[in-house]
Amino acid sequence: MGSSTNKPELIVNGKRLDGRGFADLRPMKIIAGGLKNAAGSAYMEWGNNKVLAAVYGPKEALPKHTQDPDKAVIKCKYSMAPFSSLEEHNRSGPNRRAIEISKVTREVFEKVILREDFPGSEIDIFIEVLQSDGGTRAAGITTAAVALATSGIPMTDLPYAISVGKVGDTLILDLNKAEDNYSDADMPIAIGPRNNDILLLQMDGSLTKEQISEGLTMAKKAGESVARLQREALKAPYERILEKYKI
Amino acid sequence: MSRIVIPGEVLVEKPLRTENAMIEDNKTFSTVLGIFNDEKGILTPLEGLWYPRRGDIVLGIIEEARLNSYNVELSSPFKGIIIAKFVETRLQRGDVVEAEVKELDESKTVVLMRPRKLFGGKVFDVKPSKIPRIIGKASTMLQQIRDGTKSSVTVGMNGRIWVKGGNVELAIKAIHKISEEAHTSGLTERVKELLESPRQGV
Repeated sequence: MGSSTNKPELIVNGKRLDGRGFADLRPMKIIAGGLKNAAGSAYMEWGNNKVLAAVYGPKEALPKHTQDPDKAVIKCKYSMAPFSSLEEHNRSGPNRRAIEISKVTREVFEKVILREDFPGSEIDIFIEVLQSDGGTRAAGITTAAVALATSGIPMTDLPYAISVGKVGDTLILDLNKAEDNYSDADMPIAIGPRNNDILLLQMDGSLTKEQISEGLTMAKKAGESVARLQREALKAPYERILEKYKI
Repeated sequence: MSRIVIPGEVLVEKPLRTENAMIEDNKTFSTVLGIFNDEKGILTPLEGLWYPRRGDIVLGIIEEARLNSYNVELSSPFKGIIIAKFVETRLQRGDVVEAEVKELDESKTVVLMRPRKLFGGKVFDVKPSKIPRIIGKASTMLQQIRDGTKSSVTVGMNGRIWVKGGNVELAIKAIHKISEEAHTSGLTERVKELLESPRQGV
């Protein structure tokens, strides 16, 4: 956050450090599937972030005391690879930050998965960050949603996530590492595009009431392109085969 | 006209009772990645899990032989059980059985009946959502594989397939081809081509 005394200029001549406009997203690419042993998987490149997500299950929930006789339980593990960032990540085991992100990601998917269909079972979601450059929790949620869809687990929606930040009085979208570290506020949001439901809203720093609602509007507008990319990624493997036979 | 739909996508702007869909605000939404046929109003999942139904034929592997029942692994979140008094010969852990779903009881255990032990052969799993295509209309596709490879093939709705005798390799190859291209039309001809192509491995 903005505590640092030698804070760099984040906005120069109306442009951001990497030349983007305020509401521009970094280039992204999603590949659905890929991991053979998982029930569902997806890989995403979002700017310099590289994220891999895999889904296992539903299967019998173990240890048994975690079972819920009414619905499936979701277990989520977010982890950053030791080589993923510039700072040292000695071991990729769960630290305080990873536990928090695992929890909020789990809560996003608890709201969209039709858990009542599989009582007593568990669904495992693994998110592995291979390379990070700010906004990995947003990338993780977006990737995991695609992985869940490829596993065939029934869901009411296909959520995506995006981060909103503030530099001075200007709101910016999709913060990268430098902006994440030195901006005045950071607000990751997960959205279910069907009804534009807000599934996750966290905030670091401070935003006024008006800035929050403006940020939400910006995120929903820019998020349409993320949702479209997710849809295209899911359809791509099937359309490839249709094209092969020119049907 | 058929189109590929994703979870949360609107199928029709009115309530429609179809599988793998949900109704909200007088609209019907898909809950899976699937193909929706607008004219027939049918949503076929492309990826999916098997949901047990009475009368489904499944292939299971005996996981545990108990005094009066057998626990059966069905490669699904649901556990299977066979009541021992309905079995003529004693089964053992590791045996492959074909059985019919009697019911799904309140604890979501699949109660199986009429088990038949399968000897030898090769067992493998495919995506359960592709099974209807592998069987085909009036089991034409399955019969084609059986005729083309001279193998005995048994298909379980839970996505498990057992192949024995004949050209096992070719049968497995054909089944994987169907599973990969299940959403395309004209598949029967292409499988026929594969089966009739220069005898592979025979």
